[in-house]
Amino acid sequence: MDISFDKYSLMVDGKRVFIKSGAFHYFRTPGVKMARDRFQKMKAGGYNTVDIYFNWNYHSAKPGEYDFTGIKDVRKVLEEAKKAGLFVIARPGPFINAEVNAGGLPFWLLKMEDVIPRNRVGTEYKYSPKYMEYVAEWYDQIIPIIKEFDNVILFQIENEYATDSMDEGYMNELYRMARERGITCPIFHNDAYFAGLWADCVDIYALDLYPYINPNQNWKQDNFCFDTLDNVEDIFRSAKEGSPPFIAEMQAGWFDKWDGSGYGHIREALGDEHINIMTKTALSQGVTLFNHYMAAGGTNWGDLACDEVYTSYEFTAPIDEFGVIQSNFYKAKEINYFLDSFDLTCTEPKDFDFCQENIYAKMRHDNTNDCDWLFIRNMGINQKINEAEGGITLPNGKTVVLKSCDMKICPVNLKLYGCDIEFSDVEIFTRLKNENEEAVFFISDKNANIYLSDGTVIKGDKMDFENYTFERDGKTTQFIFLTKHMADRSWFLKDRMIFNADYVLPNGAVAVEKNTEIAYFDLKYKFAKKNCIVNAYPNNPPLEQLEISSVKFCSPEIDLDYDYSGWKKIEAGGKTDAFSCDIYDEFIWYKAKIPDYLTEITLSARHLFAVYVNGKEIINRNSYKLEKLQEVPETISVPLNKTILTRETNELTILVQNLGFDKGFSGDTNSPRGLVLFETTPQIPVEFYVCEKLAPEYTTKFESDNPYLSKITVNFDLNMSENVFFAKYISFEDFRCRRATIYLNGVKIGRYIKRRHVQDKFYLINEFLKPHNTLDIIVWEKDRNVKSAWGFKSDLKNVKILLGTFKICQLFK
Amino acid sequence: MVVVPEFLIKRIYQKGSLKKLDNGASFNLKNVLGPGFISGFNYVKINDVTYEPKDVKFIMNGQEYTSGDVSEDHPIAFRLGQAGTIVVEGQQSVTEGVNKIVIEALNPEAGVVKLSVEDNV
Repeated sequence: MDISFDKYSLMVDGKRVFIKSGAFHYFRTPGVKMARDRFQKMKAGGYNTVDIYFNWNYHSAKPGEYDFTGIKDVRKVLEEAKKAGLFVIARPGPFINAEVNAGGLPFWLLKMEDVIPRNRVGTEYKYSPKYMEYVAEWYDQIIPIIKEFDNVILFQIENEYATDSMDEGYMNELYRMARERGITCPIFHNDAYFAGLWADCVDIYALDLYPYINPNQNWKQDNFCFDTLDNVEDIFRSAKEGSPPFIAEMQAGWFDKWDGSGYGHIREALGDEHINIMTKTALSQGVTLFNHYMAAGGTNWGDLACDEVYTSYEFTAPIDEFGVIQSNFYKAKEINYFLDSFDLTCTEPKDFDFCQENIYAKMRHDNTNDCDWLFIRNMGINQKINEAEGGITLPNGKTVVLKSCDMKICPVNLKLYGCDIEFSDVEIFTRLKNENEEAVFFISDKNANIYLSDGTVIKGDKMDFENYTFERDGKTTQFIFLTKHMADRSWFLKDRMIFNADYVLPNGAVAVEKNTEIAYFDLKYKFAKKNCIVNAYPNNPPLEQLEISSVKFCSPEIDLDYDYSGWKKIEAGGKTDAFSCDIYDEFIWYKAKIPDYLTEITLSARHLFAVYVNGKEIINRNSYKLEKLQEVPETISVPLNKTILTRETNELTILVQNLGFDKGFSGDTNSPRGLVLFETTPQIPVEFYVCEKLAPEYTTKFESDNPYLSKITVNFDLNMSENVFFAKYISFEDFRCRRATIYLNGVKIGRYIKRRHVQDKFYLINEFLKPHNTLDIIVWEKDRNVKSAWGFKSDLKNVKILLGTFKICQLFK
Repeated sequence: MVVVPEFLIKRIYQKGSLKKLDNGASFNLKNVLGPGFISGFNYVKINDVTYEPKDVKFIMNGQEYTSGDVSEDHPIAFRLGQAGTIVVEGQQSVTEGVNKIVIEALNPEAGVVKLSVEDNV
């Protein structure tokens, strides 16, 4: 494919293409089948491009070692994107942020003394030849794979990068490295500060826009959050001549954090209005390349998460973490379909003399369709500008009725086959067209009208499939109305429309969750119907309480006289943090001998930890704290006495849970983790032995003496039928323990940590499910109210673990 | 500290706006970066004199905001293109010629944002 561009748009093999992209993380949605599912849904929703970050850290656990096999096989992910008919925006970093552990930089890289990650210390530029050597190694691995795919249309270097001096050496070198390795498509960078940064170092200038990044903010009230977006065309034009307006990350949701307000709140706060306003305003500013970040949410399974985020990376995306289509998907679909029907790749701003408080209005002339488009938005809080109030009266004398926080694209002087639309505030959903005939689908709106140039006015208050036909010079135009509900369930596939389906696949298969009459429409055969009978699935499958098969105490490491001679030895007085120990797992065990004359130990650990002496817990603490977006280190002193130090030589065990490394946007990726500080009073050197991981398989044979970590095991079976989409979860409602780590068939799929808000539903990632499944839940922290180990175990045996279903659909060809 | 390049943050300060007042100083800021919020000021420093949050006022659209009015729960909107005046009181700090000014402000999204500039009087 030959990819070129001009100031209007990207061109593929010489043809202008509007890039409607959505971000997808293959590492958070593992496996080919899940990638296929998400890509097919994206394609069905009108996206033509998928944006893919390539996560260096995910593929490289040790220096010089790279794993692109199994679920890490990115070739297969790219193959699926191609099969789904999607272009690809490749973003291999080296740094990617994405709220992943260490921003995607390998842990081993961060510990190297002569490496300065990203050639930056704080905001100061410091070139590191050794870092660049390793970046070259990564590019040598990933670029040959990317290069195999001719549907890769754009390539990004670095991510949201800036330094005080803005020295261009690093960015120029990355550009050169990509070209030397055979990247031929345009190269860009995403400027997080929309200040024209690095525009001279790349082919296309691009920026990121996230007007809503504080969930406490009411964006509907603080509507000025769109100020930058409302003027973004000027930013693009002044940043780089001849570069098409490209929003490399355009907000389509937001991530939640530990102690955040919860995804439910964020989804409700953003509603469908936000993605509607973001996307339509971008179009009004001449943007012809956008990337909804994210199009599909994912899961921080394994050790993917940075310290800031919990297991779910649902991101309130149009396709959620579980692969279920959400209402903002339908809004994105409406806009994508509209863009499939009317080519807006070559438009110019047009003067439009209109000003009204809280109303944003922008007119563009469309050089391709030789018409104008009016983009109009109402940001009045709780202000519905209705007909009784006269609506919004435009200079052309027409009125537009807009709900608060709504935005429309209205055609002006649009020439169709059978008629001309002078103006319409009934929005166009999509259009089917051949040489002589076209069907234009509108979304019904009782407060809106279509004004034809012959004076006819068609009210928008129509029922599903009500239609009007216009003929002129042997050609016909049919207007077909769909209610919003039907539009959500309507799908544009090549040359036909499919109605009443939950979603469709590129091969024409339809997915439904209940008995449904599917309707089809094309220009040749008009309407046809088909019944899809789904008898097997109840509408709302009930939660199933899983039977606990065993509860075992599973931390022999804490037991007295545990043999840890095989663990890694840290010399007395040596550093014990994760980098120094070269251990990057979420859990790190430390063992040491301490004498009985100590009066105190002082320690600082990231992030959660517990200290045990001679098999007894003396402290268990969650030290994770963020203030003003900065990690707040905590140092704790624990007094010791003869009732704790009962032996002449006492056995000390420390377990530290590292919630992840900093993502590197505003903090340092290489801030230490694990046991960062350990001192004794009186001060003596302590020789530690260290080991990583809580492994559920540790204790299948032996049970530990102590009750501090307990493993609840549950077995369950699933019907894994072909042609069925399902999303399962386990629920921890009424779960009385404070912390648990969840393993599905041996894969860590979640961490439950009780804080202000807690994630209590965990996605059973389809890739890891089997017909017969084992769920191991390792509970860390004996309930202090339960006095005896026996009582604690008995309580755990009665814990309620519920198996639920978010969605189940059957596919019909 | 948020990684916003210094040269970008400096654009907020309006060069030539530093004024010596009877018992302090004033200068102007204009948001040319993007829409945002201010949730407080850690301090303002002019030359060797540090003004605590209680001695810092931000005047915007004729409204005066003191440290008691602004917090993480009650941030003030600082729109793109909007201008405001910082007034610091309690001590003299401005000298003739070049003055060094450091402002450490708080933003709910970005955390601590530090601005260091020089201005002539």
